[in-house]
Amino acid sequence: MTFRIGFDVGGTFTDFVLQTSSGELHTGKRLTTYPDPSVACLEGLDELIGRVGVIWSDLGQAVHGTTLGSNIVIERKGKNVALLTTKGFRDVLVIGREKRYQVYDLQIEPPAPLISRRLIREVPERILYDGTVLLPLDEGETRRVVRALAAQGITTIAVSLLHSYVNPAHEMRVAEIIHEEAPEIAVTPSHEVSPTFREYERTSTTVINAYVMTAVREYLRHLQDATARRGSRARLFVMPSSGGIATAEAMQRYPVRMIESGPAAGALMAAVYGELTGHRDLIAFDMGGTTAKLALIEKGKPFTASTFELHKVGFAAGSGIPMNIQAIDLVEIGAGGGSIARATMGVIAVGPQSAGSMPGPACYTRGGCEPTVTDADLILGYLNPDFFAGGSIRLDVQAARRAIEDSVARPLGLPLAEAAWGIHQIVNTNMELATRVVSIERGRDPRDLAFIAFGGAGPVHGCRLAQALGIPRVILPAAAGVTAAIGLLAAEVKFDVGRTYVRKLEDVDLAYLNRIFAAMEAQAVEVIRESAVRGEITLQRWADVRYLGQGFELNVPVALGTLGAGDLVRLRQSFDEAYAARYGYANPKEPIEVVNWKLTALGAGPKVSLPKSDPKGPGNALKASRQAYFPERGGYIDCPVYDRYRLGPGTELTGPAVIEERESTTVLPPGCVARVDDYATLLVKVQPFS
Amino acid sequence: MSTGGVDPITLAVIWGGLQSIAVEVGTTVHKTAYSEQAREGQDFSVAVFDPQGGMVAQGPYSPGHMGAMSFAVRNALAAHPAETLKPGDAILLNDPLLGSGHLPDFFITQPAFVHGRLIGFVVNILHHTDVGGQRPGSQGVVGIFDYFQEGLRIPPTKVWKEYEEDPGLIGIIAANTRTPEKVLGDLRAQRSALRVGELRLAELVERYGVETVLASMAEILARTEANMRAAILDIPNGTYPFEDLLDDWGPGTDPLRVAVTVTVKDDTVEIDYAGSSPQTASGLNSYINYTRSYSYAAIKCLTDPYGPMNEGALRPIRVEAPLGSFLNPRPPAGGGPRAIVCYRTFEAVIGALAPAVPERVVAASSHFANPTFGGFDPNRNRRFVAYELILSGTGARASKDGCEAMASAFNASNIPVEAQEANHPIIVERFELIRDSSGPGKFRGGSGVRRDTRFLATEGKFTNLAERQRFPPYGLFGGKPGKRGRTVINPGPNERLLHSKESSEFAYGDVISFQQPGAGGYGVPAERDPQKVLNDVLDDFISLEMAREAYGVVIDPRTWTVDEAATTRLRARMRITGTPPMVTR
Repeated sequence: MTFRIGFDVGGTFTDFVLQTSSGELHTGKRLTTYPDPSVACLEGLDELIGRVGVIWSDLGQAVHGTTLGSNIVIERKGKNVALLTTKGFRDVLVIGREKRYQVYDLQIEPPAPLISRRLIREVPERILYDGTVLLPLDEGETRRVVRALAAQGITTIAVSLLHSYVNPAHEMRVAEIIHEEAPEIAVTPSHEVSPTFREYERTSTTVINAYVMTAVREYLRHLQDATARRGSRARLFVMPSSGGIATAEAMQRYPVRMIESGPAAGALMAAVYGELTGHRDLIAFDMGGTTAKLALIEKGKPFTASTFELHKVGFAAGSGIPMNIQAIDLVEIGAGGGSIARATMGVIAVGPQSAGSMPGPACYTRGGCEPTVTDADLILGYLNPDFFAGGSIRLDVQAARRAIEDSVARPLGLPLAEAAWGIHQIVNTNMELATRVVSIERGRDPRDLAFIAFGGAGPVHGCRLAQALGIPRVILPAAAGVTAAIGLLAAEVKFDVGRTYVRKLEDVDLAYLNRIFAAMEAQAVEVIRESAVRGEITLQRWADVRYLGQGFELNVPVALGTLGAGDLVRLRQSFDEAYAARYGYANPKEPIEVVNWKLTALGAGPKVSLPKSDPKGPGNALKASRQAYFPERGGYIDCPVYDRYRLGPGTELTGPAVIEERESTTVLPPGCVARVDDYATLLVKVQPFS
Repeated sequence: MSTGGVDPITLAVIWGGLQSIAVEVGTTVHKTAYSEQAREGQDFSVAVFDPQGGMVAQGPYSPGHMGAMSFAVRNALAAHPAETLKPGDAILLNDPLLGSGHLPDFFITQPAFVHGRLIGFVVNILHHTDVGGQRPGSQGVVGIFDYFQEGLRIPPTKVWKEYEEDPGLIGIIAANTRTPEKVLGDLRAQRSALRVGELRLAELVERYGVETVLASMAEILARTEANMRAAILDIPNGTYPFEDLLDDWGPGTDPLRVAVTVTVKDDTVEIDYAGSSPQTASGLNSYINYTRSYSYAAIKCLTDPYGPMNEGALRPIRVEAPLGSFLNPRPPAGGGPRAIVCYRTFEAVIGALAPAVPERVVAASSHFANPTFGGFDPNRNRRFVAYELILSGTGARASKDGCEAMASAFNASNIPVEAQEANHPIIVERFELIRDSSGPGKFRGGSGVRRDTRFLATEGKFTNLAERQRFPPYGLFGGKPGKRGRTVINPGPNERLLHSKESSEFAYGDVISFQQPGAGGYGVPAERDPQKVLNDVLDDFISLEMAREAYGVVIDPRTWTVDEAATTRLRARMRITGTPPMVTR
């Protein structure tokens, strides 16, 4: 009987989930190992498989999530990577788009390009915007350049030539020449990675792909070999940044697509919990030590975006390295337990600077003396100084008090409690703005959505945040079961394919369009079938549309099947409607232009069912009471504290209450009612703040 | 500190809310615009104003529009008092004196109401492709003696009334531009963005109440002002003069003097351009709002770069220029190409304060070029107008090099080669940094950028707009100036130099090469870490010769290592005695 396994490498922990053929789930957790994360992966897999009592040869599918790609980029660990450009354009990476990401800061320092100028070479060739060849590729010069790079020990070459998204012939020929001259060198041509206009963004995407390629390939091959040695015959899958799963072989070719694999798994995990509790439209809120990440999930699926920026400076838009990839549309802000609070201009400001885990919040007494969100939560009585992270870190209330007094309360003339409450509120406000970005700016009213809060600090802040946004329901999964790895097993096999066919709507050749959709469909279905999906395959079609003359598109759905004139009329209508909803007015008399035609094929994986909870013994869950701050009750009050592991299914608690578990603490504000479901999830009905 | 009756937490929430409205308005312009300079170059700005016409939040775009915005909104409201406005009305103006100094910039001010009560204004300004006049792109220098030659001038006029376009005005605008599709498309982008901003502002008020939001707006301005004053107190009191020269105002003309005296007195700054050259009989004049904008921006950079930018931040600063000078011309002086002046007012203020805050200032940046072209595109069988923004490196700093390829005073993006070629009869032949162009220093300036553009057009009209081809970007505290820029037609053995402000014709197939100056260095070059010099050589930013001559670093070209002994000897010979000059030009 086959079983499935999902494992996700995070910054601190590597999480494991094993699903047996009967659907039973088993979880595991280990500290992530550095520099080689596969050590923890293999140890954890061995341990879990042994514990459950299954054998490697019965492994049916392994799904992996990892932040390896983004770590290599942020730590600049890629080696021996070169770039080939069209002659005259070697500085495309250095020049970028040139806008200041901070208007008034004269000291800004953008991240250095991944490839230094000494490893960028030009080849004589030129293709124009319509695909015509102005200057044929100089093959002799190309060979000379490739040989010289090979002699220098280059192992990977990114190739990005102008207008290759229209006519890839020269890039293909350069790739062939590289194979002929130096078969050991891996090649990444830009038309394969990102066939879209704007040379800087396309080149940047291609360079990242090349930059992480060797390390990702070695890592995935090592994992595959190690599991094969143990007797596994299963295929290894990896979660790309867009969610879904793809084969490890595909990811070795396009590793840029898995650059944000880990956070994608988290958003999918939120979708699983939403589904279990009957909520398909929700906001996933993950608040950890340094950042909070928010994602919108609609009809059980996280929203995706087609661009992503890595390694931003201070979270400033435009400061990072851009990529044209499908990625779960996460908004990440500098708001976490370690975010530093200060008094500035007579108000409290929190973050984006973080004390991280070293030195950490003042109350960790590891040398940090600036007040953080965790310090405020401690002073407010929300956190238990003796049971933080299950008691593994002792929190020093005096240190937290001193830090808040010195940096916030005294400068602003506020009593300590009000200062702490202010810090708690302001970090919520920052997250609230981010929540509005993922909901309102995408045309969704947060009041119609459920809110799922996880991460170490998520359940401390989740209900208050929901109150501020008017969100009626909060879902708080039990942390012990919450691992992004569950998201890996829940993912559908997904393949995205697209073609650039730029035409005014009235000039679209329907016969041609039907042919390219048929070809895309055949390709996508084949990939899904290869991934051993036996069930039904779902198809979705999209078009990227703009008014003729604009530079950016809106994504609108396209009908399935053979398209006729009526389908194009409906496309026009849906575009005008989507445009008016997003930008205030539609311009129905203006001609529209379609840029890309896209297709997504989805193959459903086996359903994931979560383990039912097994409370140690309900009834004695009330473990203590302590003073906690609730301004609607006039300040500090005596607040009951519950042991989450002893809350049986069906239990109802009314706030104010604090519920403790090893990984996190839930704060239930006054009037909010939490019910425990069969999976130990807390379902909270939110009482508006009064 | 007073809270204006609003608790500090609500105030912070509303503050953040106003800021995110400004950002969303800007994103909407960017994503819906039609012209290359708006959708790729981001040559636009956005802001939210209080009901009295005070700017409370701005988006992260061009500072030049920003300083002018406050005055432009006041001028719009002087013509159309707030009490006469209805929901969905919007006031357009492009008058150079009332707006930001040249006709292509369309300011639009739209009020926002909640339950019939005015709660503020949403404003945007966008540089339109062409508004008619003597030259395609409406930015000619030569042969202009007043703004009537520069295109269509619009006094404050309602462009939309109760959400309906005024077809008469739109028709007049369309009839007076060489590029009606782009201009009308960009106007629609401005309209969408203002509508989005109006809705968001109304939502904020619905949520927190009119009184709370209005009190918060006043409080935001008061606190920003107090903050700015405190930051100015950090700068030592004093009177700081500085002078710099613009190359000229057209072929065969004299340099233009930018003379400034910055007086810091306690918590105020006064910037006086007395002694600057008189206004010119050309397009090259900077109306006072534009002069103010970049003067404010410079002070903001040196005091509190991360503080909020709104009306409150401007209050402690006064900017004066003699009426009739080219930095405060009398109407109807021409002003189309005034963008070329902004780096110089900005850098004059920065240079003036160098002795006061040496660790905060930067040497002069590479100058940008903003040429415009027009003609007939035989391939697509239509007329075209295009513009370029050729930005380069920034000046070196007290503890680090200048940035490569980064906008300075004027904050915009370049236009991708592939976007430019897709719509215009243009083939870009190179776009690269220029070796040995950066100003040497202990920290060096950014390099100049070269962009060569071939035109497959007939009836070609070219209007150049470039600077620092005669007077290079200055270095500071021993740092050397960057290399001068140049504009060349058909580079190669038969190349011909073009004047930096020339208006000329070009033939089908001609190549125009923009070779921008390098930015100035900071600190004595012989003190630069030899390893950094070696890296600059390995990365081809500088040559072996420059490493030796400018930096005194001898590199062995066989091993590509620094010859330490030879370097020590050479540097000993280069050593200068005494304090290096503050400015090297």
